[in-house]
Amino acid sequence: MNRKRAVLLGLLASLSVFMSGCWSERQLTDMAIVSAVGIDQDEEGKYVASYQFFNPGNIAGGLQGGGGGQSPPVAVYTATGDSIMEVHGNMSKKVSREPYYSHANLIVISDELAEKEGIASVLDAFSRGSQFRVTTTVVIARDVKAKDLMTTLTALDKVPSQKIMDTLETTEKAMGENINIDLQEVIRGLVSPGKEPLISGFTVKGDVKEGKKQESLQATDLPMTIEADGNAVFKNGKLVDWIDGSGARSVLWVLDRVESTTITIKWADKKDAVSYRVVRQKTNVSADIKGGKPRISVGIHMEGDIGEVRVPIELKDPDVLEKVEKEIREQTRKEIEQAIRRAQKNKTDVFGFGEVFHQAEPKEWKKVKKSWEDSIFPNLNVEVKVEAYVRRTGLRNNSYLSDIKSEQE
Amino acid sequence: MEKAKISPRQLFMLIVLFELGSSIIIPVGLTAKQDAWLAVLGGMVGGLLLFLLYHKVGSYYPGLVPTEYMPKIWGPFLGNIFAFLYVIYLFYLAARVLRDFGEMLVMFAYPETPLFIINLLWMILVVYTVRKGIEALARTGEILFVVLFILAMASLLLLIFNGSIDTRNLQPVFEEGPLPLVKAIGETVFFPFGEIVFFTMILPYINDSKKTKRAGLYALILSGLILSVTMAINLSVLGYSLLARTNFPLLATIQTIELAEFLQRLDVFFIIGVVIGGFFKITILFYVAVMGTTSLFKVEKPEQLVFPLGFITLFLSVGIASSFPEHIQEGLDIVPMYLHLPFQVIFPLLLLVGAFLRNRHKQKSSG
Repeated sequence: MNRKRAVLLGLLASLSVFMSGCWSERQLTDMAIVSAVGIDQDEEGKYVASYQFFNPGNIAGGLQGGGGGQSPPVAVYTATGDSIMEVHGNMSKKVSREPYYSHANLIVISDELAEKEGIASVLDAFSRGSQFRVTTTVVIARDVKAKDLMTTLTALDKVPSQKIMDTLETTEKAMGENINIDLQEVIRGLVSPGKEPLISGFTVKGDVKEGKKQESLQATDLPMTIEADGNAVFKNGKLVDWIDGSGARSVLWVLDRVESTTITIKWADKKDAVSYRVVRQKTNVSADIKGGKPRISVGIHMEGDIGEVRVPIELKDPDVLEKVEKEIREQTRKEIEQAIRRAQKNKTDVFGFGEVFHQAEPKEWKKVKKSWEDSIFPNLNVEVKVEAYVRRTGLRNNSYLSDIKSEQE
Repeated sequence: MEKAKISPRQLFMLIVLFELGSSIIIPVGLTAKQDAWLAVLGGMVGGLLLFLLYHKVGSYYPGLVPTEYMPKIWGPFLGNIFAFLYVIYLFYLAARVLRDFGEMLVMFAYPETPLFIINLLWMILVVYTVRKGIEALARTGEILFVVLFILAMASLLLLIFNGSIDTRNLQPVFEEGPLPLVKAIGETVFFPFGEIVFFTMILPYINDSKKTKRAGLYALILSGLILSVTMAINLSVLGYSLLARTNFPLLATIQTIELAEFLQRLDVFFIIGVVIGGFFKITILFYVAVMGTTSLFKVEKPEQLVFPLGFITLFLSVGIASSFPEHIQEGLDIVPMYLHLPFQVIFPLLLLVGAFLRNRHKQKSSG
């Protein structure tokens, strides 16, 4: 009995060796946790990838004193290679620890690479590997190298990649002029014959060299800032155009991704006189066939408040509000139609009209699938209908401007 | 056969766990593209018919398993040969499923661990469970069924609140006409619904045999509905093109959850579900394979066979294919046509005819 017990005990003890998951154990101190990956291309066509690693001791900082301030919260290493996996291998020559990608939440691709080679060939490794996440955000470095976005330090958020993601999220919500798109959506856009991806651009304004130094952060007005800057338009995986400002907002509007934004309209011959704050909006895109040709209808419904007026205007009067609404409708429709015309000129269906048409008219789609982008989409008949409602005027009705003016007269 | 009894309720849960075990993690019925979820429902109806067929055959020989009544219907010589082939089929399927789950774990969670080690760990657990018998397995099923249910509900709610479900991805319906749909239904009848055939080895254990039919039918309907909803969600979250390129769609779907900045990377939901489902799938298959061998060779103590057969299955699982794509290719092209079709449809039909003729004869001679 005793011997049996001893054998059992021995067996149990051996379990701790075989079943504790030590096969490919990794200690925290053996890993370098990647926060973002930036990809450039050198003259020979090789990929130059910059990895932004967390520098754990310098992020915590705070109460213990010491910590932050001594050295930057992140460290950037650069390696080259013909493929992403080769870069990963070459990285080991420079980094003492093994890169760990599970916490990487940002991929930056330089505009140069996106224009010349296209983004398609870069992304496979990221979607195939089990460490990378499909929800990783993708942005394009505009007019700067992807590496510059990796190396530039930022003030409010200690980790630059976090700053880029948060900026994108905030501005998509507040302005609706930049799109926050993840790896999975980019790939879906690349694959679909009826849709092209739209990827937000980011740039560094100011002194890139100063931006790498920790001392630069010892100022209230930093010598450099990372900013969202337009949206890259792709065709067949290659960057062909940038759309900014209201054009970009129009695209997001059609894609139903605008959460809130501000529309300024002309009033009494003064430009940008009245600001209208959109509180909620909904876009419906539908497709049908008219006269043997595909037709797309875009219907936008928005509600909001008056946010600011710069001219005297009788806001108490519902009739005046109706005129304001009409003006908003007209302007939005014009902006959107302009954006559509531009996309048609580029022959890039960033709106995903092809997908909508596919879903509505599968049989017709089969006939036009191949020629959609190059011959159907550029001549597509798109009907835009906008409904806008002013619900409230904030805490004031008529502006004090009305009284100042009338006294002067 | 061991002396054990399980209740119809336990049978119900075992069938659901078995049917969903592997089908829920891999793409099913994708021939029909975005109509895959409809194909699953169609396949379910086929599965119900097959189950009625198996139940009918079994009802001629209450208390006996197929390897026992095959010789009675076809005569000892032919019947034993077929029973032997049937046992081989069971072992092959057990090895296949073991390979499926081993590969899944290696690919997703343990890239540097050899497949053999992962499968070995699976097999240790499975052998242990089978030695404990069907009653222990059924009780385990009752507990883990609830765990899985909670996980599934939590994932569903998170996906809805996450806003990643876009039902437009399910359109257009019937894009290519009815042909691909019919083809996809044909696939889903065999896998996963036709796999209910393995339960013919377990049906004699039910303590309340009147309720067996109802439990089986309800279990198939529930599995069909869950699987169909899962496919519909996978499709509407990922879209067909992305789904077709992933090895494990459910994993990709769960990975899209990113709620309130912190509810994200819930891959562990998937892993827990997979391990529970895989455990039942492998264990049930291996159990019926062992029981088939026991009854065929009239072994008195089934426990003695468990270890050696476990090793055979383990080595078989590593040897049947040299790579994952090859394994999947075999599963899609060869297995349904040359294994599922005869063993799930043709032989049971022949058995039914044989059983019918023999018993009519018997009744006449006795009366």
